[in-house]
Amino acid sequence: MARLTLDDVTKVYTDDGGGDIVAVEEISLDIDDGEFLVLVGPSGCGKSTTLRMMAGLETVTEGELRLEDRVLNDVSAQNRDIAMVFQSYALYPHKSVRGNMSFGLEESTDLPDDEIRQRVEETTDMLGISDLLDRNPGQLSGGQQQRVALGRAIVRDPEVFLMDEPLSNLDAKLRAEMRTELQRLQEELGVTTIYVTHDQTEAMTMGDRVAVLDDGELQQVGTPLDCYHRPNNLFVAGFIGEPSMNFFDGSLSGDIFRGDGFDYPLSDATRDQIGDASDLTLGIRPEDIEVGERRSGDRTFDAEVVVVEPQGNENTVHLRFAEGGEGARFTATTTGRSRVESGDRTTVSFPEDAIHLFDGETGNALKNRELPSNRAIGAYISD
Amino acid sequence: MSQSSPTGSFDVASLVEDVNLRRVGQYALVVFFLGFFLVPLETGIMTAIKTNESVARSLPFAPPASEGFTLGNIQFALEQLSGSFFNSLVMSIPATIGSVLFGSMAAYGLTMVNWRAQMGVLMLFVVGVFVPYQAVLVPLARFWNNIFPLARMIEPMVASIPFFQGYHADLVPLVITHIAYGIPICTILFRSYYQSLPNSLVEAGKIDGASITKIYRRIILPISKPMFGVVFIYQFTQIYNEFLFAFTLVTGSDAPAAPVTLVLPAIGASTSGIDFGIRMSAAFLAAVPTLILYVAFAEQFAKGLRTEA
Repeated sequence: MARLTLDDVTKVYTDDGGGDIVAVEEISLDIDDGEFLVLVGPSGCGKSTTLRMMAGLETVTEGELRLEDRVLNDVSAQNRDIAMVFQSYALYPHKSVRGNMSFGLEESTDLPDDEIRQRVEETTDMLGISDLLDRNPGQLSGGQQQRVALGRAIVRDPEVFLMDEPLSNLDAKLRAEMRTELQRLQEELGVTTIYVTHDQTEAMTMGDRVAVLDDGELQQVGTPLDCYHRPNNLFVAGFIGEPSMNFFDGSLSGDIFRGDGFDYPLSDATRDQIGDASDLTLGIRPEDIEVGERRSGDRTFDAEVVVVEPQGNENTVHLRFAEGGEGARFTATTTGRSRVESGDRTTVSFPEDAIHLFDGETGNALKNRELPSNRAIGAYISD
Repeated sequence: MSQSSPTGSFDVASLVEDVNLRRVGQYALVVFFLGFFLVPLETGIMTAIKTNESVARSLPFAPPASEGFTLGNIQFALEQLSGSFFNSLVMSIPATIGSVLFGSMAAYGLTMVNWRAQMGVLMLFVVGVFVPYQAVLVPLARFWNNIFPLARMIEPMVASIPFFQGYHADLVPLVITHIAYGIPICTILFRSYYQSLPNSLVEAGKIDGASITKIYRRIILPISKPMFGVVFIYQFTQIYNEFLFAFTLVTGSDAPAAPVTLVLPAIGASTSGIDFGIRMSAAFLAAVPTLILYVAFAEQFAKGLRTEA
């Protein structure tokens, strides 16, 4: 168990033509002892490369990687005392479950055979796969293979766990189950864990902290709710949250945000936060849009319902401004019992305390939503 | 293809319907090719068990008449070949194991381990496949006879091994030559198999703390068992049937270390003419080891071909 530090870590590949491709650019992270950090981002954002550098499967081009005070850059994967769970599980097909799990202990420690045996059995007990010990991976279901892959990492009792999308090959129900199971195990073992995923649900629910990556660069590191409510920029705002945040491009004229099909007046307090940016993007989360509750005020607009996706507990409603162009669509979520149908004319309100404003050029957040000074939420959000 | 009725009950009408020109043609072709391949074989067997007189009188593929039948040919051929059988096996088995094992190791190193200039080395292996035998015969003979006469050097050592004679030392240069010549093709065959294996297996091994050699021995080697079956059969057949290297390094059919392929052409030939019965018997006997191998490894062979495709 240890603290893992990345200091301006960069990975540059050289392509066939001799050109350089920057896969990961100057990432700095500090992962605390026992922390569960989720690396999240779209495919090709460099999250797996970052993980593989931690594992020692890729070399670090620049920067420094440290485990406690030990610099890992030139330490081979064999000597890092790090365990990894692969997306494909990578179980040894010719070995039994027992063989798969004891291999790492046989190769990396001098433990006597009966000690290895005992450790393997303890781990399988913990994972509930003791009855599979003598089977081969080919005879196991996807979920069982996943557990064995997990067991292979746990049994070694490493300093750090690395997980590369370990749940992506499971069906939805099993994935949800394993999500909580993994969290429970991690809490129990207290091992520093770095978990890579492209699934924002996993990012939101599993990690102590989330690190959002895009295009090889770190966009934001924070608690899940921090990233959700106080995104650093447009990318984080759009990536975290499902359905994702609505964005409206527009410009500022006076105290009014002019978007396609609607004019949104800004209060003085908001206006002050913006500074002198004139090209703006207004963002609002679907659940913050109030649909159909006719309210007086100039932050309410006429809209038309385009499509309704009922989900039982809630509806995802796709809407269009009555006066806007065909492209200006947005989504809102309403409770499952509200009755809206496609073609309906309705009104939508954007409460001012729920809107985000981003710089239209840089994409950086200028104003994030206000949160009630509620301790329950505040506790999850660092300042 | 025709389809039987879905209920599975026997339907005569559909059977009659199926007899059309296309199907008749198909079966005719099958029967023709069956004959095309089997008649020479049958002719060979018949010739092998006929006396020389009977061979001259009867049709080649006809079975021998009662007085023309003999097992003497086979007995004679076996006596003539027994020594060279031993030579052949002494040569082919270590040469096959050596080239297959080294080929697999080289393929692992060239496919699943990353290092610089790997492409250049692989190209050398590919070139090695295409070096013509004829071009190296003279240098090879000079090397083993004049520059590095290994056979003469180890002769006393070989003579002291039970069941071996001093002249078996002549086979050692041949074994080494076959190993060297077999490595490129074995490497290429194994490489295509290793490329189809997921790289994450090696990575998982590394993270589990195993060294590159341990990963080969404990993970890759056991996984490539089916491929070993294929390459082993292929390589054994090649080396066992090889003639040119044997002819160059062991020289004649009368040499005591001559393998089967050298002795075979000389059997049954004498000043009074050629004894076809003896020749045929010898040819069949010579083919027996490869046949046994195919039958013994048929399952592995099929599995290996499947995994490769």
